[in-house]
Amino acid sequence: METWIKRVFLGLTVRQCVCVLLFAMHLPVSLADDNKPLIAPDVKPQPVDESLIDTENFELGVLAGYISIEDFESSFLYGARAAYHLTERFFLEANIGFAEAGETSFEKLAGNVQLISDEDRDYRFYNVSFGYNILPGEAFMQGLFSGDTFAFNTNFYLVAGAGATDFAGDNRFTANFGAGYQLLMTDWLSLHLIYRQHMYDIDVLGETKTSQNTEFSTALTVFF
Amino acid sequence: MTRSLPLFGLFAGLLLCSRLAFADWWNFWSDQMVEQKVQVVEPFIEMRTGPAAGFPVVHVSEKGEWLTLLKRKTDWIKIMDAEDREGWVAVEDLLLTHDATGKQVAITEPRFDDFRTRRWEAGLQMGEFDSTAVNSAYVAYWMTANLSAEASLSQVLGNSSEIQMASLSLLHQPFPSWRYSPFFSIGGGQIDIKPKATLISVENSSNSMAHAGIGMRCYVSDRFFVRLEVKEYKIFTNEERNEEATEWKLGLSVFF
Repeated sequence: METWIKRVFLGLTVRQCVCVLLFAMHLPVSLADDNKPLIAPDVKPQPVDESLIDTENFELGVLAGYISIEDFESSFLYGARAAYHLTERFFLEANIGFAEAGETSFEKLAGNVQLISDEDRDYRFYNVSFGYNILPGEAFMQGLFSGDTFAFNTNFYLVAGAGATDFAGDNRFTANFGAGYQLLMTDWLSLHLIYRQHMYDIDVLGETKTSQNTEFSTALTVFF
Repeated sequence: MTRSLPLFGLFAGLLLCSRLAFADWWNFWSDQMVEQKVQVVEPFIEMRTGPAAGFPVVHVSEKGEWLTLLKRKTDWIKIMDAEDREGWVAVEDLLLTHDATGKQVAITEPRFDDFRTRRWEAGLQMGEFDSTAVNSAYVAYWMTANLSAEASLSQVLGNSSEIQMASLSLLHQPFPSWRYSPFFSIGGGQIDIKPKATLISVENSSNSMAHAGIGMRCYVSDRFFVRLEVKEYKIFTNEERNEEATEWKLGLSVFF
């Protein structure tokens, strides 16, 4: 028995041993070679470049709606809105608006009387406000033709700020507060429904009082 | 024209502030579509429908997945995964991913430290000028960590007059690394006083003025801070004596 085992191992020539060894060594190497792509891609991995990511924190758009001017009826209002979003919650916004005030009830009843000139009926305001997105959420709408349901991102926000109103021959400091509902049709296009209260002191009708002016408007804005 | 001056200034200020946004736009168009990709290395990453924590999570990407960065709104980035699903991921989550080089992604969140590298500052302020309400907007350029130059426009709306001011100032803050950083300012400019229509026989006056003040910047978070200041004005009139006024203002500012 012992001689048989000796015969097997000692009987191998040097050349046969080398062949076996080479085969054993070669086996894993050749397997690894098969996994390599035939052509190595000549691309260097690139790190992320922050400056190539488009940022969309500014919002700019037009607004239209109605404003109820105390003692002077309600009038069509148009203007512009700009906003800068500081965080997901906080933003700064600036608005300008133009309207033409109607008549006081005194002017209507008395007939041919004008309390303020036509020129002074031009109602112009600007304001800057701080805003806070209090309720982000989603609105679901049925498509008109397809029957699919679409989900839109929405924000309910509160604003408060100050500015000036140029009306009835005077430019007055004006405080404002309000709320808005923003519907994002795409990431960059949004529709706002806005309620805002404008307050300033006025003495056109005799005694000085705080005039309350309510604005309801819609704004169409783009993010950039 | 002078009446709409503060308005114009405000929008000019906003436009100037958007320098960064325009720079991004330019890059976006000129350097079209070099895909910015990151790989998830944490067990998972959450995608939301919108750029705020209040929006619902609609998808979760697993470890090893590659995400393409599309756009950014405040501290959220819109991403697309390999199967074209889109969603918004918080920047702080993305900071835990790796880019193609296998290193941590280099996206910056604006922080207090950025005060040292940023150059522009802009803000809106409200307060009282000589016991009358004042609205004001300004833009500042930081020449060194201590010294900045700024231009501001103010509108004072009183019962007896409307005042418009445009001024240039130099600000010095001795301790730029403090979170509550005091500063001193000195400057001058033009002041236009328009008496209200009901007061007859008083004419509009336009005078130069100088002012000195102290104030404080209080860093809040991200890229914004609260700024409070008190200024003493000297108005150089044509009359026998000059006028003086005190002003305080409080406002919110942003750095770029």
